[in-house]
Amino acid sequence: MDNSKTIPLLLAVAVGLFVFRSTAYKVSEWEQAIVTEFGNPVGEPVVKAGLHFTLPWREVRRLDRRILNWDGYPNQIPTKDKKYIWVDTTARWRIENPLLFIQSVRDEDGARSRIDGVLDSVTRDVISNNNLVEAVRNTKSAEVDSAPAEKPKVEDVRSTKADDEDIDRKLEKIEFGREVLSERIIDKARDGLAEFGIEIIDVQLRRIAYEKSVESKVFERMISERLRVAEKIRSEGQGERAKITGEIQRDLLEIQSDAYRKAEILRGKADAEAIRIYAGAMNADPKFYEFLRTLEAYKKALPKDTKFILSTDNKFLNILRNKE
Amino acid sequence: MSDPWENPDDEIKEMLDGLSKKFKGGFNFQRGAVLIAFGAVFCVLGVLTSMYTVEPEEKAVILRFGRYAVTKGPGLHFKIPFGIDRHIKLPTERILQEEFGFRSASTKGARTQYEDKAFDEESLMLTGDLNVADVEWIVQYKIAEPQKYLFNTRDVRKNLRDVSLSVVRRVVGDRRVGKVLTTDRVEIADEAQNLMQEVLDKYDMGVRIVALKLQDVNPPESVRPAFNEVNAAKQEQQKVINQAKREYNKVIPEAKGKAHETVNRAQGEASRVVNQAKGDAARFTSVLREYKKAPSITRTRLYLETLEQVYSKFESMTIIDKGVKGLLPVFGDPAAKGAN
Repeated sequence: MDNSKTIPLLLAVAVGLFVFRSTAYKVSEWEQAIVTEFGNPVGEPVVKAGLHFTLPWREVRRLDRRILNWDGYPNQIPTKDKKYIWVDTTARWRIENPLLFIQSVRDEDGARSRIDGVLDSVTRDVISNNNLVEAVRNTKSAEVDSAPAEKPKVEDVRSTKADDEDIDRKLEKIEFGREVLSERIIDKARDGLAEFGIEIIDVQLRRIAYEKSVESKVFERMISERLRVAEKIRSEGQGERAKITGEIQRDLLEIQSDAYRKAEILRGKADAEAIRIYAGAMNADPKFYEFLRTLEAYKKALPKDTKFILSTDNKFLNILRNKE
Repeated sequence: MSDPWENPDDEIKEMLDGLSKKFKGGFNFQRGAVLIAFGAVFCVLGVLTSMYTVEPEEKAVILRFGRYAVTKGPGLHFKIPFGIDRHIKLPTERILQEEFGFRSASTKGARTQYEDKAFDEESLMLTGDLNVADVEWIVQYKIAEPQKYLFNTRDVRKNLRDVSLSVVRRVVGDRRVGKVLTTDRVEIADEAQNLMQEVLDKYDMGVRIVALKLQDVNPPESVRPAFNEVNAAKQEQQKVINQAKREYNKVIPEAKGKAHETVNRAQGEASRVVNQAKGDAARFTSVLREYKKAPSITRTRLYLETLEQVYSKFESMTIIDKGVKGLLPVFGDPAAKGAN
């Protein structure tokens, strides 16, 4: 190859590359770009991904097109019912209007601090205007309605199942619920942030927790409730035992007296039968029966060591005296 | 988030540097050879940077000048080098897992080790009756649509965690602590999984929740002894009831047996009384029949026989003539007795 041709060729390639590098820019799928000329925005924001060209002195500023996160600092907020709780919110947002965004907040850090300001105050407003349960529960659940229906059952001591493990504290009624509060926060924040070109997609109440000192009080209450339940279960056991002991007494007396009754009936019938039989036989000659039975009785009734004084005026001794 | 792929500007710079070095070094040699060597290096570099492998569990998304071009499956693939094509590999077939309230420290060896630290901030939550429960759970998910996964949200993992924390709290917040700890576990997991998917679909994140499983669900640490107390009370209750039942079983069957005994004995006695009566009656009837044939003599005989029997039994007997009046028999004097 010839030296005089090679060098211009290489130079041409180098210049070509330089021009390409300074005029071409690429926009990724997750990006959007704004082209500025000496600080002034030129044309519409570029949202189509791919290779684009512009003039070399123009500046390209890229912004994210994806959904971004915002993480709030946990805030201690008193609720309407004067309970101190930690509320930890998180939000998703996107840059909806890049031009407005760049003009008003410059970059994401700027945006974040604006969102901090708006969301913190909105969250505080919404939470402190509602009772704690509103932020905890979501549905105006059926449980609330069924709670009073369960009440009569409490009298039934036998229902020792999982149900009455719960102290029958009625659930507080809720008016709105968690999702509605989230929606409210979003609605209020949306207006405040639209002027920065920011769209709030959603706000999640990531964590709601009792303030530490309140928490320990809650734990104490839970402990005392559990102990109450334990005591109730124990006493139900004792009650059950007393019941069974009673049953023992009842059944025992019933069985014994029943046996006595049956035995006496049998005996009575037998005695009656015996009387009937005796009477039937003896009626044939009562005098003779009396005579026989008396003799029989003599044999049995007079004991051996009886001292006997007899007069000779006795039928037995008649002959002894009279010799006839 | 750091750029996971190579920086094209650096690549080109490197190449230009190498080119100029070679050019200077080879000034004294024949220029043709230099150019050929330069071309060869250029080609080798191009081939090397255009090759990439996609593992079996992965998919690769190809971007051309930042614009989505195509998604490739597992295997060896080529792309246009020098920063024109970029590939991003995603483990689409793998099930990914997020843990809440605990962390596995290591899954090596026979048994998974867990970190001792408690993640109370994640796991403590309020229940519907304003009690506190300690709930641990995992979320398993897959990257269902790589494009959406890459292009629609910036930090997928963080979104997933935030949503899961919020949703599980929302589901638990609708229940009483007793139910959360016992019967409603499965229901909570199902409901939370559905809700999570719903929210993530709203972000169009390209992620599919495979499972949400509750792990340990406990009362908070300091309340746990009181909950155990309830369980102990239940056991105690059972014990007391069983004892009472045992007592019942000990007493009642025996009493039943004894009752049978009493009745049977009475029956026996009744039979005896009746039989005796029958026997006596039969005997009397027989005796009476014969007596009627000679009443007087039989009567005397029976009388005398009886007296004989009776008197012979006695130890002592005093006979007094009916003519003797005013005699007082002297008892307890053997001499007197003998004299008579």
